[in-house]
Amino acid sequence: METSDRLIRALQWVWVGFAFFLVGGIIIWIVHLIRTSWSLDDTLSASIGISLVAIPIFLVFMGVVFYVFWGVAVHGRER
Amino acid sequence: MVEIDDLHERTLLAPIAHTGRGFYWAVAGLSLLILWGVLAYLVQFSEGLGVTGLHQPVSWGFYVTNFVFFIGISHAGTLISAILRLSKAEWRRPITRMAEVITVMVLFIGAGQILIDLGRPDRLMNVIRYGRYQSPLLWDATSISAYMTASLTYLYLPMIPDIAILRDRLGKRKLLYSVLALGWTGTEHQQRVLNRAIAIMAVLVIPIAISVHSVVSFVFSMTLQPMWHSTIFGPYFVVGAIFSGIAALIVAMILFRKAYGLQDYLKPIHFRYLGQLLLIMALLWFYFTFAEYLTGYYGAEPEEMKVFWAKFTGPFWPFFWGMVLCNFIIPISCLVSLSRHTIGKVLAASLSVVVGMWLERFIIVVPTLSFPRLPFPQGIYSPTWVEWGETAGSFGIFALFYLLFTKFFPIISIWEIREGREGVKEVEERLISYLPGEIEEKT
Repeated sequence: METSDRLIRALQWVWVGFAFFLVGGIIIWIVHLIRTSWSLDDTLSASIGISLVAIPIFLVFMGVVFYVFWGVAVHGRER
Repeated sequence: MVEIDDLHERTLLAPIAHTGRGFYWAVAGLSLLILWGVLAYLVQFSEGLGVTGLHQPVSWGFYVTNFVFFIGISHAGTLISAILRLSKAEWRRPITRMAEVITVMVLFIGAGQILIDLGRPDRLMNVIRYGRYQSPLLWDATSISAYMTASLTYLYLPMIPDIAILRDRLGKRKLLYSVLALGWTGTEHQQRVLNRAIAIMAVLVIPIAISVHSVVSFVFSMTLQPMWHSTIFGPYFVVGAIFSGIAALIVAMILFRKAYGLQDYLKPIHFRYLGQLLLIMALLWFYFTFAEYLTGYYGAEPEEMKVFWAKFTGPFWPFFWGMVLCNFIIPISCLVSLSRHTIGKVLAASLSVVVGMWLERFIIVVPTLSFPRLPFPQGIYSPTWVEWGETAGSFGIFALFYLLFTKFFPIISIWEIREGREGVKEVEERLISYLPGEIEEKT
């Protein structure tokens, strides 16, 4: 593999890592809000109810991004 | 076929490969608007929100109006593009990319309005650290984050094959395009993966887009304020959002058609179809507006009636009747017959709707705050140059970023046009499958 190819491959991992960082950060934030409402005894049900919808949606985004990255950039190139 | 494809590629890559004088003039003009916005923000940042027209009881003015307006425009893209893609509307092919770009750009600008409205942007950290999910404001923050993520993904995925073309053909920004193309070579496996991912995102993005504008409306309707506390605010906002989104998309299409010579791709038939959609949305918007105001009028609750008459005949009458003129009377007169001068009529209607929908957002936000239910003093909102500057700057940033996007990526999807040309037979077969088969003669 040439140096430029290695660089491109590395940057692609950074690119997908950034997407994970972004979506992962939002999920961690939502979990933090649940924890805060738990510790303050502040209508925990609302936080859990909303996060039960929100977190799976963000997980699906992560799944789609990784599926494309793996299918196109990693697996697709090897075929 | 190869020659035709090559010609298409060259036409669609031309705006990226060559930059004309018009581009620099446009950038200069938009930069002036942005400069005005930056200056206004700096003054507001150093002096505080006192330099704006915001006061008690009208604490939301242009910024929140812009927020609702821009988030509404964002429905152009993803919702229209996703619906057309899922319903296999073949005429969508030159339109989807333009629509998806609008969505991503305006979402960032819309969310930015809240930062401006805060006055102290550092207080955003309080939302992150101490946010409470009982507040519809936080529902907004969560749903807009989801919509931004979905829209970015939904914009990026269909761009991958085009970025690969740029990587192979353009001869500049090679590293950028190589990274973003993810090693795309167009193998069967890669195409299968990408088509599946686009289909998943198209399905996912529709409920998210609807939820976003419903949640934006909840910020108002969950309060007991006169003319905000309404059960139809969710669908009313969604209808208005799709309405303004289609109008913004048409304006963008006509501008780029002219600027980049895309007459061969964006044909009168596209504008006729979108014009018909706009006409339907105008009627739907009028129905919701009528239902909303009739219910308030018939109830005749004193606090509601104060706001009602302030809009109809009071200090807000020019905005209210301006909204009716721009959102209903002008579009209906322009769009009722599109057999001649299609593009001119559709453009006039769309520009009118963009203005009218901004007025609609203003007429929802401000009059209610001017006549609060609680015994606060009443007050009329009058924006200062700071709010005008921020608004001009926001529109300038949107237009500039959109323009810059077209200098990096094709504004019309090359591979989808190619796929459409190659798939004519498949479309024909699909059409035949919709129709009844040959009738066997019964004996």
